[in-house]
Amino acid sequence: MVHALHEAWRVLKPNGLLIDLRPATVHRRVGILRAGEVQWLGVMRERFDDDRAANRAVAEVVRQGLFKRQGWKHFEFHRTLDSVAEFGAWLDEFRSLGKLPPHDWLLRRLEGALDTQRGRAKILISAPLDLRVLQKRPRL
Amino acid sequence: MTLRMDPEQNEVRALKAVAEWRGQRVLEIGCGDGRLTRRLARLGAEVRAIDTDAELIRTARREFPRRLAARVRFHVGRAGRLEYPKESFDRAVFSWVL
Repeated sequence: MVHALHEAWRVLKPNGLLIDLRPATVHRRVGILRAGEVQWLGVMRERFDDDRAANRAVAEVVRQGLFKRQGWKHFEFHRTLDSVAEFGAWLDEFRSLGKLPPHDWLLRRLEGALDTQRGRAKILISAPLDLRVLQKRPRL
Repeated sequence: MTLRMDPEQNEVRALKAVAEWRGQRVLEIGCGDGRLTRRLARLGAEVRAIDTDAELIRTARREFPRRLAARVRFHVGRAGRLEYPKESFDRAVFSWVL
């Protein structure tokens, strides 16, 4: 990761900006959305090892004097899905990255909740994002 | 899959709040299927978007809106070995890849 940040430093113009956009290190909440109301059903248990490594890499290039921190934003980011099958496929993709233990309990809760909604509800995933802004500094 | 992402447009609001994008040369690293690339292009950026996954790059090229296409080029590429000259971009966006 530090090498990738060095490469970004190389291709940026003087005072150029590096934008680091990625999910915040908070567990995603999952629920169902119906008529603008959300019923939260569970909190996922992702692993954050990669995210913490990325934070360390950013801290390293700041320490090296290549970038200075210029700003940060934390904001809500929602996804909606129509069915438990789609949510299961999304989970499988997530699990393939090695960041997620089994969440069968959550699938069962969603199935139970959606059974009572007669297809009018959507599945809502709440996953806040962090956006960090770093400004390129000249190499000392 | 009927996945809908960020219906409130919070992401683009945050991007607009932190930097000017119009006319800026932007390198997007980890563009995937071009979801964020579309948003950057709509903000007026000139984008070079890379991803390691050739299939995703094909999808991004195929599905990118024609009216924005002149502002964007997609390439297969790696963050650790960028095939661009030094000091060639105003912005570098790591898109969910760090």
